[in-house]
Amino acid sequence: MTAVIRRLAQAIVVLWAAFTLSFVILYLLPGDAVLTKLGSADGGINASPEQIAQVRAEYGVDDPVLVQYGKRLWAALHGDFGRSIATGDDATHQVLSALPPTLAVSGFALVLAVVFGGGIAVLGTYTRARWLSHLLLSLPPLGISLPSFWVGLLLIQVFSFQLGLLPALGSTGFASLVLPSVTLALPTGAIIGQVLAKSLRTQLAQPYVEIVRAKGASRRRVHFGHALRNAALPALTLVGVVAGNLLAGSVITETVFSRDGVGRVTAAAVSVQDIPVVQAVIVLAAFFFVTLNLVVDLLYPVLDPRLARVPGELTRRERSHA
Amino acid sequence: MPDSVTRRRTWSLPRQPGLVLSAVLLAAVLLAAVAPGVFTGQDPITGVPAERLRAPSPAHLFGTDETGRDVFARVVHGASLSLRATVLAVLVALVAGAAIGLLAGFRGGWLDAVVMRVVDVLQAVPAILLSLAVVTALGFGTTNVAIAVGVSNLAAFARLMRAEVLRVRSSVFVESARASGVRWPGVLARHVLPNAAGPVLVLATLTFGTAVLEVSALSFLGFGATPPTPEWGALVAGGRNFLATAWWMTTLPGLTVAAVVLATNRLSRALDGERSELR
Amino acid sequence: MFGHGPSHPARTTALALALPLLLAACSSAGGTGTTEAGPPRSGGTLRLGISSNPDCLDPQQVGTNAALNVGRQLTDSLTDQDPTTGQITPWLAERWEVNADSTSFTFHLRTDATFSDGSPVDANAVKTSFDGIKALGAKSLLGSSYLAAYQGSTVLDASTVRIDFSAPSAQFLQASSTMSLSVLAPAAYQRTAEQRCQGEGLIGSGPFVFSSFKPNQEIVLTKRTGYHWGSPLWQHQGEAYLDRIDFKVVPEPAVRTGSLVSGQLDAITDVQPVDEPQFTTAGFTEPVRPNPGIVFNLHANTTRGVLADEAVRQAVSKGINRAEVTSTVLTPNYKPATSILGSATPLHTDLSAQLAYDPAGATALLEADGWVAGPDGIRVKAGQRLTASVIFSSVFNQNQSVLELIQQQLRRIGFDLRIELHTNTENTQRQQSGDYDFLWYNVTRSDPDILRQHFSTKAGNRSRLTPGNPLDEVLDQQAATVAEDVRGLAVDQAQRLIVEHAYAIPVFELTQVHALGPNAHDIGFEASSRLRLFDAWVSGS
Repeated sequence: MTAVIRRLAQAIVVLWAAFTLSFVILYLLPGDAVLTKLGSADGGINASPEQIAQVRAEYGVDDPVLVQYGKRLWAALHGDFGRSIATGDDATHQVLSALPPTLAVSGFALVLAVVFGGGIAVLGTYTRARWLSHLLLSLPPLGISLPSFWVGLLLIQVFSFQLGLLPALGSTGFASLVLPSVTLALPTGAIIGQVLAKSLRTQLAQPYVEIVRAKGASRRRVHFGHALRNAALPALTLVGVVAGNLLAGSVITETVFSRDGVGRVTAAAVSVQDIPVVQAVIVLAAFFFVTLNLVVDLLYPVLDPRLARVPGELTRRERSHA
Repeated sequence: MPDSVTRRRTWSLPRQPGLVLSAVLLAAVLLAAVAPGVFTGQDPITGVPAERLRAPSPAHLFGTDETGRDVFARVVHGASLSLRATVLAVLVALVAGAAIGLLAGFRGGWLDAVVMRVVDVLQAVPAILLSLAVVTALGFGTTNVAIAVGVSNLAAFARLMRAEVLRVRSSVFVESARASGVRWPGVLARHVLPNAAGPVLVLATLTFGTAVLEVSALSFLGFGATPPTPEWGALVAGGRNFLATAWWMTTLPGLTVAAVVLATNRLSRALDGERSELR
Repeated sequence: MFGHGPSHPARTTALALALPLLLAACSSAGGTGTTEAGPPRSGGTLRLGISSNPDCLDPQQVGTNAALNVGRQLTDSLTDQDPTTGQITPWLAERWEVNADSTSFTFHLRTDATFSDGSPVDANAVKTSFDGIKALGAKSLLGSSYLAAYQGSTVLDASTVRIDFSAPSAQFLQASSTMSLSVLAPAAYQRTAEQRCQGEGLIGSGPFVFSSFKPNQEIVLTKRTGYHWGSPLWQHQGEAYLDRIDFKVVPEPAVRTGSLVSGQLDAITDVQPVDEPQFTTAGFTEPVRPNPGIVFNLHANTTRGVLADEAVRQAVSKGINRAEVTSTVLTPNYKPATSILGSATPLHTDLSAQLAYDPAGATALLEADGWVAGPDGIRVKAGQRLTASVIFSSVFNQNQSVLELIQQQLRRIGFDLRIELHTNTENTQRQQSGDYDFLWYNVTRSDPDILRQHFSTKAGNRSRLTPGNPLDEVLDQQAATVAEDVRGLAVDQAQRLIVEHAYAIPVFELTQVHALGPNAHDIGFEASSRLRLFDAWVSGS
């Protein structure tokens, strides 16, 4: 039980550190969001220095750095990240309202990634045809090596502009989900495929496989009943990586497919140093990551008693290989 | 890693055409980085406006771009800058990450806890967001993009190194070395580093591929390196507006990037295999 | 001419005159006019792809084209400006008077206009609105400079309002025609500036009303029923043709283009030079208009390095082949600069002779000035290299390519131009602190007073000149009168001084290039080259 409490404490520390890190990075940038906002008119700033100072004071960006940090942290503890300097909207509201479209694409992409990535890994290790195995198992590395914005634009060209099958833009209806999800699923599915295939091969080389086989289990039963079940466990530790991947990928896919979402909001906020919004996103991302890993780490020993001794270490090893 | 991997000789080259191909490709890229003149005699910077947007032909293997520059020449000449950026990114990730992991693993205790929480944060924040912020902070330019990508990949190296240190630290031969009075630096040099080198090298080759792609994603988002000299990521990203009218401008550099990433991945797998074998 | 508004009969003639000219302006480079498609039809939705997300929709606050294009449709202004002549014409105000030193403007409003919440557009509403813009301070990105010397408004009677300034503000008359100084309902100011940005309480009297705003996605406007107080400059009177406008935010140029071609959008803004040829084919039209204001230029900091030397600046100006810039990196729709002011700016002077490509002249100037060719082709003088940097951001997509070409051109005369891409923020900061050699930028404003804002030592002073120079004097002169003849002389002098001393080196005119699919018609430009969708219509689909 103390272990659980310790993990929880660690998770809170991570959230705090993410908050602080994002503040430090953005604070170190030259200029500030007010300057960017006022300079966004073509030709640059029109206002007088006094007027600029007034806006700075209003957004509190002229406070000493520690005061700013203290105020922000205190407010953040109450779920208030402040107002976006660029749009004037409440930062928390802005990020949370951008979440559903991102979750929709990410969720569908995750399904595609698990089905196809997992399918390729299972089939690739199961088939007896060497050429098929080679072909299937060479797909994941290929999926990782294509720039996803390029894949997205290519899909739009072919399926939307040439064939007219699916819409190129917008976030309404299922049809608009397909192309962005496929684009997003490609690198994620590739990672899942790669890790699962590796894990499967490791399992198949384990002595217990020989034993089970010797006991008369069929090849299919060995593969799906034993090896896959055991191999899926290390893949579970990928959850954090995959979630991060999906969020990062959404920055690209949302731009390519003209969708709203957390990725777009973040990229825009970073480029104009909109500290409230960036902090809200980073803390949200860290929260997801921490929670997922916490759940996985806590579940791990339950699912696989053999590994109860050193849960943290092995998961980390696998994670770092992804 | 399982120690029971069958000791089959997998390194007989003729049986590994993919590996041979990968090695040849990477060698060619290295050569292009050092001596681009070997592959092309065309000018990558100044083009012939009259020959703009020509499709691939024997004269222009990859076609020409909007100002009449030979795309193949730009890809070849881009190898140097791209490799430099990518290698720098990997070095930043490797050196900084490994140092952090080493420190955490060796000292243990509160330092380990603190350092690893920082690493947690680095991993909790998606890499691309982290590099976006770092690029905005440092300013544009290839070096800064490389550093940004390096920082965002640092966490994996730190974790790996720490895990290796912990593994080696608790192993029997280190215990006995310690018992026989060998000091930690000695242990580090004689046992930890040689053992950790393998996995770190594998991760480095993998990161190499990721780095090329991340640099190009940053270019796509308008945060990339944009010197007049060509760079792969910028080439792929810059040509995308021509996808409908001049597919070769982004597709052929894109495939080049994909091929290089594939080749390094293949190499990484081979190294990984070899490592497992040596265990 | 500017002393008082045209009387009523003049209004109809203005309309009759403006109409053919407008059409000519719209279709100048886009092939055939769109009116062929038959008489305009009421109804339907226009799906318009725009290139960036307007962070804010309140036209009084924003500064980007994306946002101004939306805001313009929601609100009316006191006056309108004829895009072809630059004349200020009636709109909400039927006529006006300006005092002798341009510090006091009295507007007589038409009495039948109402805001979409039903309240009347009266003198009190105008006062509330102008006071509201002033109160925004720097948050009104453009309005703050238009109202820099604003003292206050006085309601003389229900339909008469006087606006006073503490310093001569001739530019205010043109400013009163912009969306930045458009009139919002008094109820709007019961909301915060941030709420108005998101569309809450954004109540205007314009031909369209705000319906919804999904950031990064779309903005929906619907027709204002009963609208009948449009500017006489427009092609028709009464309500707008379109029932609804969907502004779709599509950041990727290739996706914008492809979506128009495949019929997923009806029209798009910001067509990239590379895609322009696609829309010269049958079925598509390309409305094109150069932006008025300061053209894209290398604005020299005359206190820095080699740029302190006037001969060097002049040589750089002669060393730039402007025609090659527009023909290679841009398209024929973009014109080489003929002055520091764009050709669409009122009182623009054609100085193309002074801005001709003259590499021999440039070389001669540098030789006479003691700059000799160095080992790497770049000239040197007393150990100093002939080099300067230019800072820019990629606000306009082609900036990088244009500057790379200029860099190549200047290398031929032995000048090393170093190109430095920075974020917007860093550029703003460096511009504010004077830490630059050359600045690369343009400003859209359909009034020559924009020169005072960026060159006067009492305002932006981007050339870092010393106070009391001859340029200051003519810039003050033009600010003090709305009389066109006097103002014209001063503005002409100012343009000549800037070009001759090469305080800033004009290069090319930013141009708005949009594209319309087969169903979209009559998307027009107002005087500042922003969209006017009142006359736009869509044919049956």
